[in-house]
Amino acid sequence: MSKLSTVLVIGACLLAAAGGYGLSQLQHGGEEHAHGETPSTQKPGTTAAAPSESLPTGIALSDLDGHKYSLDDYKGKLMIVNFWATWCAPCLNEIPILVKMQERYGAKGFQLIGPAVDDIEEARRAAPGLKFNYPVAVGTPEDMLELMSTLGNDQGGLPFSVVIAPDGRIIERQLGEYSEVELAGLIEKYLPH
Amino acid sequence: MTLHARLASLLLACAIALPAVAIEFSRKPQAGSADALLSADAAFRLVSVIRDQDAILVNWMIEPGYYLYRQRIAVEAVEAGISLGKPVLPKGIAEHDEHFGDVEIYKTAVELRLPLKAGAPVPTQLRLRWQGCAEAGVCYPPVTRVVDVSPAS
Repeated sequence: MSKLSTVLVIGACLLAAAGGYGLSQLQHGGEEHAHGETPSTQKPGTTAAAPSESLPTGIALSDLDGHKYSLDDYKGKLMIVNFWATWCAPCLNEIPILVKMQERYGAKGFQLIGPAVDDIEEARRAAPGLKFNYPVAVGTPEDMLELMSTLGNDQGGLPFSVVIAPDGRIIERQLGEYSEVELAGLIEKYLPH
Repeated sequence: MTLHARLASLLLACAIALPAVAIEFSRKPQAGSADALLSADAAFRLVSVIRDQDAILVNWMIEPGYYLYRQRIAVEAVEAGISLGKPVLPKGIAEHDEHFGDVEIYKTAVELRLPLKAGAPVPTQLRLRWQGCAEAGVCYPPVTRVVDVSPAS
């Protein structure tokens, strides 16, 4: 009887494990297979960067008034480059949170940059209402899509954010909105001091 | 170990395994919201641009979990001097957007009908523009394409 009980326990565990694996395969259709078919797909949500991945140097931008600046100017700060556009409702939802973060953490070594994947005039028209308290970057939509691709987003989906540590290392990328709680936690974790 | 203890172990094993299975269920990919975010071209497929007797018909297929904005579908003739009739789009799904106000969106499919004016020159190419989003909370840049108009088969 005791042997039978032992066999029952082991058998239940094996069945549970096999069942879980089988369900997983049914639901994902075989993850490796699916990923193999669509290697360029991106996932909404956060993707951690490789430990050694750094922000490329020499990325030049132009603000709403035509003044030139570079992402290199902000080295030493925790930086988030947040791509947005006037045609992107999730971006417009997220910007007030970003403005709040800049206000709260700007004096503590945090810097947001907001490249607009948009016609320059559309971005200029929308900017006052969005109350940016951080630099917005404008250019042709094609230039901005190319910049976004350089920073790891080939599909052009927005909003898209890249989080860069004070030493220039890329920490993570986010496709889709950050919540206020997520963003505050992230900033506090990586602030330089 | 007593029989009761072994039965308790069995229950414990199930208690551990079942939540793991439940987590797997909760991770089931939702179209447009989980593992595979499609490219704009795959999410919104322009499938045909066909000249009918009195109109040009443009058809898009839209993948589940994605939508096109009615207000952001536009068409113009590529050739100079051709004036097009007013494009006709079906009524979409009405939504109220905090930023854009009242909008209409299309899911699944949409057909744009471009009436041809009697006796007027017919365009051989159109410049089409459209823009949409994934329900997962990601939007795609406007797409512009120049396409040939095929005669009806």
